[in-house]
Amino acid sequence: MQQLLNGLFIGSIYALFAVGFALVFGILDRLNLAHPAVFAASAFIGIELVTVGGLPFWAALPAVAVVGALLGLIVERVAFRPLKGRADAHFAGLISSIAVAGMLIALLQWRYGAETRRFPADTFPATRFDVLGAQVTLLQVVIVAVCVTLVVGLTWLVARSRLGRGMRAVAENPTAARVLGVDVDRVTATTFAISAALGAVAGALFAMNVNSAQLGMGSAIELKGLAVIVVGGMGSLPGALVGGLLLGVAEVFAVQYLGSAWRDLIAFALLFGILLLRPQGLFGGRRARQV
Amino acid sequence: MFTESTVTFIALGAIFAFSFYAVLNAGQLSLGQAGFASVAAYTSVLLAPDPDVVGDLPALLAALVIGTTAGTVAAVVLGLPTMHLRGVFLAIATLGFAEAVRIFLLNAEWTGGAQGMTVPKVVTPAIAWAVLAVVAYWFWRSAPTRYGRALEAIREDELAAGAMGIDVGRHRLGAFATAGAVAGLYGVLWAYTVRLVGPADFGFTAAIDGLVTAMVGGTTVFIGPVVGSTFLTMIPEIQRALGVEAGWIRPFVAGLLLLVVILFLPGGLAGRIPRRLRVPELDGADGEGGAVGARERAPRGDVVARLTGLSKDYGGVHAVRDVDLEIHSGELLGLIGPNGAGKTTLVNMISGLVAPSSGEARVLGVAAGRTPVHRVAAAGVSRTFQHSKLFGRLSALENVLVGGHLVTRPTLVRRLLWLPSARRDERAALTHAARCLDRVGMLDAASTRANALSYGDQRRLEIARALAADPSLLILDEPAAGMNQVEAGELARLIRSLADDGLAVLLIEHNVGLVRQVCDRVVVLDFGEIIASGAPSAVAADPRVVEAYLGTEA
Repeated sequence: MQQLLNGLFIGSIYALFAVGFALVFGILDRLNLAHPAVFAASAFIGIELVTVGGLPFWAALPAVAVVGALLGLIVERVAFRPLKGRADAHFAGLISSIAVAGMLIALLQWRYGAETRRFPADTFPATRFDVLGAQVTLLQVVIVAVCVTLVVGLTWLVARSRLGRGMRAVAENPTAARVLGVDVDRVTATTFAISAALGAVAGALFAMNVNSAQLGMGSAIELKGLAVIVVGGMGSLPGALVGGLLLGVAEVFAVQYLGSAWRDLIAFALLFGILLLRPQGLFGGRRARQV
Repeated sequence: MFTESTVTFIALGAIFAFSFYAVLNAGQLSLGQAGFASVAAYTSVLLAPDPDVVGDLPALLAALVIGTTAGTVAAVVLGLPTMHLRGVFLAIATLGFAEAVRIFLLNAEWTGGAQGMTVPKVVTPAIAWAVLAVVAYWFWRSAPTRYGRALEAIREDELAAGAMGIDVGRHRLGAFATAGAVAGLYGVLWAYTVRLVGPADFGFTAAIDGLVTAMVGGTTVFIGPVVGSTFLTMIPEIQRALGVEAGWIRPFVAGLLLLVVILFLPGGLAGRIPRRLRVPELDGADGEGGAVGARERAPRGDVVARLTGLSKDYGGVHAVRDVDLEIHSGELLGLIGPNGAGKTTLVNMISGLVAPSSGEARVLGVAAGRTPVHRVAAAGVSRTFQHSKLFGRLSALENVLVGGHLVTRPTLVRRLLWLPSARRDERAALTHAARCLDRVGMLDAASTRANALSYGDQRRLEIARALAADPSLLILDEPAAGMNQVEAGELARLIRSLADDGLAVLLIEHNVGLVRQVCDRVVVLDFGEIIASGAPSAVAADPRVVEAYLGTEA
């Protein structure tokens, strides 16, 4: 039981991170490899907001989301918009987002150095609960609550709101969407902003959970995020949620039964199995692009 | 500034970048090279003899052979199950492989874990550059061969490459294996340079570095990786010379460079070097025989394609329904019908791109749609596409050279060995291509990039490319689209002359005037079914045809 809960906690962060990947891929058919860099940057920025800015944790989280959204806008502007209309945009976007990611990490290194950063010890009350015989901290409950709320909220947004309708129109056919009066550029930019904001919150929560932020934390979770969206079906939001939770639980059980060394192999085993057996993923029923 | 280690690392970086170049040049993004390199490095360190016993050079040579083999094997083992993946999916799968290898090496007992294994330092700058020279030689000599052009064609348009008779799967796997071999060389050299083989050197960052080097240098000219590596290796050196020591500057500049290159210089730094391909003179005479083997063609009047009960459904939509049709050699058969009548679907089935839902298309002895596309092409089917599918970044002449894939001989091995016969064969292939270009009246545009041609010229270039395969059945999908009256008239004469040469020509066209003027026989398709067939004048008078085109009187 304890293991299952631990898996769900870490899995919900994976899910929140991967949803950002999935959103951009689902709507714009682009893989944004700068997403992990935003994830890492927000962890550092969150720590700075708390230690230097003196913000309480609950206020730092929305602030981090705003910073993340801004970073998302920059990524879109610099790495993706200039490629619009190019025949190799798909491929070039991958490379240009890798480039922006590299620059972002370099800037982090400049500002924060290469050492590990931590939240101050008293950032969050260390309250514990007993749930069905398992130990749960308040932080873990908050993490799950925030992640699930955000993912569900996003799913609702895409399915129901006016913005979401625009997103789905762009996903279906950008040219037709433009003809029908959808401001494609704005929808695209908004999509990037939302995606990055979610990644940013995931980054801050992750840093809080393991109580450390490192320059390499982005690339460490990047591959897991990719595994999650491949498993869930590229571009499927519910798929990313389920995939994230699945990966978290699988990892925790791998640690228990195979040893901690092999935990990180689980993601790749899942990824490989799915790519070879069911390339459209668990939830990617349609071959066509979907939100 | 050029210390011994800088010089060595430029060569190493270039070799690693070549392993990315090998696949990027064929249009695949693989990020698994660091995995191949680590497999090769560990294998060779374990298996190669000790330099203290057999001497430095023999030990290194043995290690290089072992490493290259291990890298190639790793690439083929990964490549076989993943070759059907495209674009992003291939990138993710290969990245996952590299990461899995790294974790495995980190945790296995015999690898020394995170510490790795110590290795004697054997590599000197001269050795590193000698290996680089060998690798660069391979890519330099292989580019202008049938094999090299096939890879570029796959990069530009995989579907069209298959329709030109190129076995896409085999070529892609070949490129992948090359990447593995070159990455293997890099892994071994790296280990014997830094005196250590550890998992940290072959992580995600290493893969990105290799990709950046290859992209910055350029992925279409063989010198690209060397340019890229020199550039990126020198950044910290220049930094040091300027007295700026901050560690973040190199990754920042590398990222910035990559961004600038991808946004403004899609061909990389070396992409600025113009590619030259001399257009051969056509002096009336047929040249000295040459190696371009004209293929055997069915005698006039023979059936080249027989369709029986051919149908294709997409979900509930019957795109093509129960079509029976014979096409004879020497015949110019017109296929017309309103938009959405199923013409293109029918043609896609005949050329083997789409598998029929039921019925059979027996084309030149093969069952089209049940055999790989390149086999159908090899049987003698060649085609143009409704939406032009040229190899955009190749010149007009190169496009036609790829079209000649099936009638020219492989020259890769012989070019590597500088055999004079390779030169002769290449020249014959060029002459053949130039002649095909000349036939459609486009020899003047031979060195123009295909995507810079006008729409009408692109259509004609597609015909030249299809002709270069010396087909028995030529399928033209709306060749006159976008042409004016004069151009269409010239095209009509050209098409007629092809049929008079004994080819079977299947012409899909919206320009009914053109069809009536040149075709021997016309088939009319409506809602996926043949509604009329016969001599052009008879078909034009058929009330059902008039109805299909103009609708019934209300």
